[in-house]
Amino acid sequence: MTTTETPTRRITTAKAMAEAIGLEMQADPDVFVMGEDVGAYGGIFGSTTDLFAEFGPERVMDTPISETGFIGAGIGAAVEGLRPVVELMFVDFYGVCMDQISNHMAKIHYESGGAVKVPMVLMAATGGGYSDAAQHSQCLWGTFAHLPGMKVVVPSNPYDAKGLMASAIRDDNPVIYLFHKGAQGLVWMEKNQRSIAHVPEEAFTVPIGEAAVAREGTDVTIVTLSLSVQHSLDVAEQLEGEGISVEVVDLRSLVPLDRQTVLESVAKTGRLLVVDEDYKSFGVSGEIAAIVAETDPTMLKKPVSRLAVPDVPIPYARSLEYGILPTREKISAAVKDLVS
Amino acid sequence: MITEVTFPVMSTDDPAAEGVVGTWFVNHGEQVREGQVIAEVQVDKVDQEVEAPVAGTMYQYVAEGVAIAQGAPLARIDS
Repeated sequence: MTTTETPTRRITTAKAMAEAIGLEMQADPDVFVMGEDVGAYGGIFGSTTDLFAEFGPERVMDTPISETGFIGAGIGAAVEGLRPVVELMFVDFYGVCMDQISNHMAKIHYESGGAVKVPMVLMAATGGGYSDAAQHSQCLWGTFAHLPGMKVVVPSNPYDAKGLMASAIRDDNPVIYLFHKGAQGLVWMEKNQRSIAHVPEEAFTVPIGEAAVAREGTDVTIVTLSLSVQHSLDVAEQLEGEGISVEVVDLRSLVPLDRQTVLESVAKTGRLLVVDEDYKSFGVSGEIAAIVAETDPTMLKKPVSRLAVPDVPIPYARSLEYGILPTREKISAAVKDLVS
Repeated sequence: MITEVTFPVMSTDDPAAEGVVGTWFVNHGEQVREGQVIAEVQVDKVDQEVEAPVAGTMYQYVAEGVAIAQGAPLARIDS
């Protein structure tokens, strides 16, 4: 058999994260990993898969269950010139370590008048949809983006996961890297094919602070992030068959926020739906709406529509949980409302 | 030449336990290179990657999520 077709290398989002960390560790001896079960286990959502075997326990460190302790240790290491990648297992656990994150990691650079850098990545698993209940299912990216001093990135697919991780590790500022469990491509979770994709084997970066137009359209703009990008792309494909052209903007970074890409898209379509798996009030969806309102509300043909988690804890019961999550069905209905 | 790829025997305690392909990384009829990861398979919540033993065109025998015996043929590679 003769063929000139090149084999396509596809990997999961989880593998893409681990691959990026591994390449940065190869390139820079100052980069190391620590967190709960990041070693032999490879991270409970796969973010450090195989790193322990390659780099050993001195550079891939399992820590005791004390988020305050090991995040504080990471900050100390970063201040001394290392480049730690620290995993907070579930973002929901921020409650026990937020002083370290918000008052120290995020503010040391400012309070030292720029003299001290904190080149640290704090990654955490986010999101629901698999009955893990109110303390293990939140997104909370709006909370981190609200507080000054941290960059916040939120990839939705394997390519961006790898490129944003490389950028985060090389950045001299603290970067919060939030990955959705449901977009990791794990075999034991409900899986969207968009979580498995071609990713170049070599190192590359995706710039922090640039949104991506994940799909072009003319009737409605969906501005969204993380797993909801995958859902929105599914809906956009489906609605194309019904004659509705949907543009999907994947924010990718919340801090800095790419306002220009949002505004250009809304100026084109005149209709804006913000889809956010985080809580609705005081969050990302309100911020995006405000950007349009502050710039030029006359670009809107219809009032802004927001689909986000109503301000309740995430339920355990599957039926109730899917009652509050931004599902494909709800995204589709919201788009149809905007064009009706 | 045709090379069959079999489901790895992962559970020696329970060789009769069936597994599933959790993820196909290579589509039916696509080219693979030797050593490329073609699938992630699972038995009793333990997962393992399966690599292509040779380069060639790969054809899947089973869909994701369908129960299959450990050691059973999983795919074929024509080279």
